[in-house]
Amino acid sequence: MLRASLLVALGWILSAGIAGLSHAFALTLVLPATSVILLCHVAFDRERTLPAGMAIAIILGYIEDLHQGLPTGTLSLAFGLVYLALAWLSLRLAVQGNVVRALTALCACFAVDLLTWLILVLLADPLGISREGLRSGLQMIHWHALATMLAAPAVWGMIAGLDALIARLRRNSVKSANQTHSIPFKHDP
Amino acid sequence: MAASSRTFRDLALVLILLGIPVLLLRSAAQEPHRLSSFDRAVRRIGGPLEAGLGYAAMTVGSFFERWLLQARLQEINSELGAENRELRLRLRELLRIEEENRELRRSLQMRDKVAEDMLAAEVTAFEQSPYFRVLKIVLDRGDRFVRPGMAVLADTGVVGRVDRVADDRSDVMLITDPRSKVAVEVARTRAAGILEGAGEDRCIVDVASETPVEVGDLIQTTGVDDLFPKGHPVGRVTAVENLVGDQQRLEVLPAVRFDRLNMAWVILASAPPPDGQADLRQERPAARGLQPIH
Repeated sequence: MLRASLLVALGWILSAGIAGLSHAFALTLVLPATSVILLCHVAFDRERTLPAGMAIAIILGYIEDLHQGLPTGTLSLAFGLVYLALAWLSLRLAVQGNVVRALTALCACFAVDLLTWLILVLLADPLGISREGLRSGLQMIHWHALATMLAAPAVWGMIAGLDALIARLRRNSVKSANQTHSIPFKHDP
Repeated sequence: MAASSRTFRDLALVLILLGIPVLLLRSAAQEPHRLSSFDRAVRRIGGPLEAGLGYAAMTVGSFFERWLLQARLQEINSELGAENRELRLRLRELLRIEEENRELRRSLQMRDKVAEDMLAAEVTAFEQSPYFRVLKIVLDRGDRFVRPGMAVLADTGVVGRVDRVADDRSDVMLITDPRSKVAVEVARTRAAGILEGAGEDRCIVDVASETPVEVGDLIQTTGVDDLFPKGHPVGRVTAVENLVGDQQRLEVLPAVRFDRLNMAWVILASAPPPDGQADLRQERPAARGLQPIH
């Protein structure tokens, strides 16, 4: 639970940070989808159950929805579906090394963007979105994916740091618990 | 059996979890005026959450933005500082040029004021007394141009005369030098006398004047020594001592501040005397209408 919460918090901070940085530098195109990288990690981690991973994916998607100003649920649904696909792939593929991780992030970003685009196209009329704008947005997907691929090793490094921190915290808590419950040795008279 | 029930439970949970974004999307796609009670409930639950997350995201974003803005401001600040330093240097240079320009203009006006043939010279050095009074100045003109004894003027008044001349420089004996003598007169009373140097920025002149000379009267050259041009200012009377009869001894403060002198003019030759025949040589205009008919 702690790990999941920290992952969500990291996803939120990264999204907010990227939004802030993009606003400060007036960038709109080449922005990495850090939440997608976290999604890949969650899917290929295999340390949690499918529903737990799905819950994290949907929360990350929800946070992204809020940051990107999309209709609520769009990215949540896309993240959930892509998580299912990645979880299925994780049973067949092992993702190790920076290059493979970056490529995985690239593919995941493409998948998320395409799914989001599809959802928006399907709901364009009720949501009042222009199809012209969506068509032009589709042409920008590769920049988004490329930026995500470039940012993947750094984000994965942050996750590794987070894991190390959690492991240390757990070790310390176990050590202190052992000290509390240990019974002092008594010499028989 | 246990494994299959767990898988079934997981699948159910996954479907329920996937249903959440679908419900959110459904609610977002509804028109705000035609919301069902279910959609209203979804919005009511999601609204505060959305607002809270939005506010938190804005706070984090603005933190980064502020941080970056501060870095950018520091950069701009250092750039402006460098520009400011450069502009100050340029301003100092411009002020120097402006002062030089003003001085050159004054010097050029000398040409209009003085009829004699003059040569401009730059003051290159001073010799000062222990009390920081200027005793001697050095000009940048050598024996190719000037000779000893030539008069030296400034735009504000008489400086002195050339004393010694070397290859590339010449020493000027100031009017305050005890060896210096200049024919002068009081501008107001026309009382003439010989101005002698008394050292330390002072000169003395004895005059015989029916009208008493007063402190502040202007002393100017008479031109009778054929050295200094007539009517050029020499200084002002600072003290008057009455001697025998109508004799008065005047203490004169030179008009020129020798310590601030940058440029001087050497009188190379006296102005030619006025041509008395000039009027006669003028061709008379022909008398039209009374000419003989050829």
